[in-house]
This record gives sequence, structure tokens and C-alpha cells, in this order.
Amino acid sequence: MKPFIHINALTVAEAVAALAAYDGRARLNAGGTDLMGLLKDEFLPEYPQAVINIKNVAGLDYIREEQGMLQIGALTRLSDIASSPLLRERYGALAEAAQAVASPQIRNVATLAGNLCQDVRCCYYRYPRHIGGPISCARKGNGPCLAVKGDNRNHAILEGRKCFAVCPSDTAVALALFDGQLLVAGSAGERRIAVRDFYTPLGNQLGKDELVREIELPAITASTRQTFHKFTLRKPIDFAVVSVATLITVVDGVCSDARIALGAVAPGVVRAAAAEEFLRGRTIDPASAARAGELALAGARPLSKNAYKIEIAKTLLKRALLGHPPAKPSQGIVHDKCPHVKTK
Amino acid sequence: MATAIKKKKSLVKNLVRFSVNGTAVELEIGTLPHQVETAHTLAHTLRETLGLVGTKVTCDNGACGSCTVLMDGKAVLSCMTLTVECQGRSITTIEGLADPETGRLDPLQQSFIDHTAFQCGFCTPGMIMSAKALLADNPSPTEADVKEALSGNFCRCISHYQVLRAVMATAQGGE
Ligand SMILES: Cc1cc2nc3c(=O)[nH]c(=O)nc-3n(C[C@H](O)[C@H](O)[C@H](O)COP(=O)(O)OP(=O)(O)OC[C@H]3O[C@@H](n4cnc5c(N)ncnc54)[C@H](O)[C@@H]3O)c2cc1C
Ligand code: SF4
Ligand code: FES
Ligand code: FES
Repeated sequence: MKPFIHINALTVAEAVAALAAYDGRARLNAGGTDLMGLLKDEFLPEYPQAVINIKNVAGLDYIREEQGMLQIGALTRLSDIASSPLLRERYGALAEAAQAVASPQIRNVATLAGNLCQDVRCCYYRYPRHIGGPISCARKGNGPCLAVKGDNRNHAILEGRKCFAVCPSDTAVALALFDGQLLVAGSAGERRIAVRDFYTPLGNQLGKDELVREIELPAITASTRQTFHKFTLRKPIDFAVVSVATLITVVDGVCSDARIALGAVAPGVVRAAAAEEFLRGRTIDPASAARAGELALAGARPLSKNAYKIEIAKTLLKRALLGHPPAKPSQGIVHDKCPHVKTK
Repeated sequence: MATAIKKKKSLVKNLVRFSVNGTAVELEIGTLPHQVETAHTLAHTLRETLGLVGTKVTCDNGACGSCTVLMDGKAVLSCMTLTVECQGRSITTIEGLADPETGRLDPLQQSFIDHTAFQCGFCTPGMIMSAKALLADNPSPTEADVKEALSGNFCRCISHYQVLRAVMATAQGGE
């Protein structure tokens, strides 16, 4: 990696001050699992002058309930989110989403805010310098989107406009399901941003001197069934081709509340409002689940090579609604089915 | 006087201290050949500065697990960790598993040999460190637990089946 100035911030105020002083030329380092990729591959036109380590900022690592709200500190690690009994019990879709990220080693250091603020995975955008990059494109403010005419297998089928890279964050999908909000700190004070509004066509809403301090979720009142399904090409260590999070409340066999969030299909997280509306007041059966899938993807406008994602999204949603168990990462190793190895 | 104090302070600040396999390590931060640069990863420091080449670097991008070491007992990727951010941490590498007095291998290492749980062996130190973290946490894992714990370690030679058996054989109540 090329050299940079390294700053250890010990408080949120110090981190904000350092961000402001570098005016967009510094990067926060939380778990570092996304930032190291940026620094190693030098895929942005400008290399950061400084890296601000926020790992040692005290008091940003917690999962707690306050006045009915669930609050998660920005530095809370994904491994802690995945194993938290409180989240497992009441915000299961979030625990599952955290568990679905990358690998155990990455989850041991990766933070929730870092997961939300990670950069996109578009193959043009990330093209490394050491093999001929960086490549200019719309997201870098220079030229058209190359994915439109090129390899767009992993790109957006919904809501893409200038840039068709999808939001790579798994936890964002679950947080949008719960109508989560980000508490953001900056030089001008604090503000709240809904996770659903956080992602913009070319990035996210954070200003140059802002950082995420906390993630806040409203209370889950009724007993609900929650799921997080993620379709990947290989089971562990892979980004979602499509992911679906659902929250369903059934009273006397009838669905009284339905929430559906779709991930990796758009630049942000998509809430399937029409499908949610349709399911309310109905029984959930194969026919209504299939109809919900149709409604959720009705607005899809695929690019040249990614129409296949529509069918995957519909199928994942149907499975989620009908209560099929999601695939586990460890199923990537199909040990029991290998014909060459005999095990007892 | 004032500058002397300032100088001393900056000197103190330009050190990073952590432990590797139980031995305290103190490294200067800077750009001279013997110093650790801010941009050095822990994998680089272990291999190039400390000569501990048991930790392997394959993808250098967080995707294969071959650089796995233990940091305060947890499996982490040394290629995605900045050395300057390891202040106060306790690092264990594959070199730290064998008994320093007798040279006797850790049971897990021996089990990998007994089960020929590798071919080229490049992924093996990372596999063993991930398995080590699992067994410290959960001495009697199920097969599913082992697969989950090792899901971040990729083997180009497809040793996964043998690795699973090697780890299960070491686990309490295994095999
Ligand atoms: C091999 C591999 C596989 C992966 N697979 C997945 C996957 O399946 N699903 C998935 O969702 N992700 C995946 N990731 C992406 C990502 O590394 C992780 O999801 C992780 O959660 C990022 O968190 P971090 O704390 O390490 O972020 P960092 O790398 O520390 O930060 C990421 C970005 O966010 C910024 N940032 C960090 N903290 C804050 C804050 N508090 N406020 C504002 N900005 C902040 C940083 O400046 C940086 O730009 C993968 C990464 C790798 C290398
Ligand atoms: S999808 Fe976005 S990041 Fe990828 S080439 Fe198009 S504009 Fe660039
Ligand atoms: S070398 Fe670190 S994960 Fe591959
Ligand atoms: S034994 Fe060759 S990579 Fe695993």
C-alpha cells in the first residue's frame, strides 16, 4: 500500500475534526475490511492522504434498549450482532444478515457502520491500479456508466439511474426492514437519516465531515416471523446476487403486517410496498406468495445481462414467505454428498 | 527543554507495541528500512520484519483466509490489519502453537499430519489458526460448527474434507 498519514481518533469529536481538516481527503478506518481493499487496489482517482483509525473511539460498541428503541453502536462488530441473544430473539433478520456477511474472520473485526458505508463492488469501479486501473466512470464523476454496455450481471434491476452498482451491504437490507435510522455526527452537530434514504445515486448521504455514530431501530411489538435469504454463487465469502429480508405478522392465519426488503437489486435497499400492501389481510399460501413476488419485481428494468436476477428475487421472496429455511454458509462444502469421500 | 520534551513525546508516540506468540514486540513507526510504515499490514510485518513466514499471504485482499492469525484469541485476517493499529494486542501465529521447550507440535497440527489434511500446504497455517480459535471457544464442535468456523478458509487443493476430519479428531469426543 502507498503511504498515508495515520491518525488515531479517541473520540467522535476528534474523528469529526480530522475529517473536517482533511476536507474529503481522509478515510475512516473501522474494521478496515473494505478500506484495505480501496488502499491496496488504488481504484479511486485520488489516494487518501490520511487514514483515521476509529477502532479506539470509546463507547461506540453496544447493543442496548432505550425507551423502547434498540440502539446499536457504530463500532459493534458483525460477529457480536450475529450472536447477540437480544437480536436473535427479536431482530432475527438483522442477526441473520450479519451472519451472512463474508467469513468468520471478517465478521470478527467488521463493524456495523463500516458495513453500511462500504463502497460498491462494481468490477469497473474497483478495477485495481496494478492491472491497469483505475477506470473512470459515472460514479467517479468522469464519463458514462461502463456497466450498461459491459458486464452488468451483478448490477441493478431496479431504480438504477446514473450508476447501476448495487448496494453491497447485507445488514442494510435488514435495517431497512425494521425502518432503521442512522445517527450521524458532523461538525454542524447530529442528524438522523433513515437507512432507506441513506444511499444516493452516486454514493451515500454523508458529508465530508460526517460519520455514523449509532444505528437505531424502532421496537418490534407483535410477535413476528423474520427471515433473511441471500443468494450467492458460492456460499461463504461472497456478495449477494440478490437478498431478501421479510417480516411477517400472522394473526389467526391471516397476515396482519408484511414487510419486504430487497437487497443487491438497486443502488439502495428497496422496500416492496405493493407486495407488502397486497399481503396484508390475506393468508400466505403458494399463490399469494407468488403474487407478492410478481408485485415486488413489477418495476424491474434489467440491463442486458441481469434479467436472471428477477427470477431469483421472486423465488427467494416466495421461499421466505412460505417459511423455507435459508441456505447456510457451511453448505458450500457439500461434504455428505461427495462421492469420493466416505465418512462415518 | 521544551523541544526536548516534545521530541521525546513524539518518539514515544512513534512506537507500536504488541506481543507475538507471547513475546513482547516493540517496533518503530516510520519510513526507514527497519521501521514499520503506517501502510504495512500485520501480515507484512510478521513475514518481512519479524521473519515469521509461517503466516501465508495468498490473495492479500481478505478473501482466502490463508493469512489468518489469532488476535486476542479471535481469528482475524492479518492482510487486512494495519500493524500500527495492533497496539496492545496479543497475536498468535502458527509458529506459536508448538511447545517452545520440547518442540512438540500442537495436537491440531499433528492431526493435520495424521489425516494428510493438505496437499501443497499453503492454506494450512490459516486453516489451523481458524480451527484453533474454534476449539478454544467450543472444545466439542459438531461437523457443522467446524464447517462454519472454517468457511473463511479457502483451499485450492480441496483439502477441506480431510481438514474437517482432522479437526473433528482433535475435538473432544471427536471420532
Ligand atoms: C472477501 C470479502 C467479502 C465480503 N463479503 C461481504 C458480504 O458478503 N456482505 C457484505 O455486506 N459485505 C461484505 N464485505 C464488505 C465489508 O468488508 C464488510 O461488510 C464490513 O462490514 C465492512 O466493515 P468494516 O468495519 O471493516 O469497514 P471499513 O473497511 O473500516 O470501512 C468501510 C467504509 O466505511 C467507512 N466507515 C467506517 N466506519 C464508518 C462510520 N462510523 N461512519 C462513516 N463511515 C464509516 C470507511 O471510511 C470506509 O470507507 C466483504 C469484504 C471482503 C474483503
Ligand atoms: S455501475 Fe456505477 S460504478 Fe459501475 S461502471 Fe457504472 S457508474 Fe461506474
Ligand atoms: S491473504 Fe489474507 S485473506 Fe487472503
Ligand atoms: S493444501 Fe494447497 S491450498 Fe490448501
